[in-house]
Amino acid sequence: MGDTIKWESSMDVALERAKSENKPVLLDFFNPG
Amino acid sequence: MAAVTYPDAKVIRFINERMIPLQVKFDAKPIATDFNVKWTPAIITLDSNGKEHHRTVGFLATEELIPSLLLGIAKVYFDADQFDNALANLNKLLSEYPESDSTSEAIYLMGVCLYKSTHNAKHLKEAYEKLNARDPQGEWTKRAYPYRLL
Repeated sequence: MGDTIKWESSMDVALERAKSENKPVLLDFFNPG
Repeated sequence: MAAVTYPDAKVIRFINERMIPLQVKFDAKPIATDFNVKWTPAIITLDSNGKEHHRTVGFLATEELIPSLLLGIAKVYFDADQFDNALANLNKLLSEYPESDSTSEAIYLMGVCLYKSTHNAKHLKEAYEKLNARDPQGEWTKRAYPYRLL
């Protein structure tokens, strides 16, 4: 699965993948500091 | 999260296998406003339509993040009346993370799932008894308190 989390940055892309892969979305709001 | 939890190999494997990870800045518009995010880290579980089912605010170590995400996934299925899938995720949480901060809520939700799928109230009472044995003064024990009478 690789050595990093494969983050999406677009909600539309994430939801499209969620539908096609039948998975929920983990939405992480972060503060880069 | 970025420095400690997200680089953990167990977390990477879990998230990449079980979820679609989406990361945005706390002030990204309009999404931060849409989800009313006021503090970070804020971690939200959504279904494939973008509807929120579970949220945590604040740092979570690996041993808390994964059970929290399992609870979030279970809630997505529960809210869709897919009780078997919800129970599978709750069972995994309870077997692999029996002492996590998400465990009590998972015991409660498991009781509700079993009740809704069988219409047998004994599952609610059993959930209360498990919660009471684990943590008599706990939040979820108190929420299940009426079920002791079933």
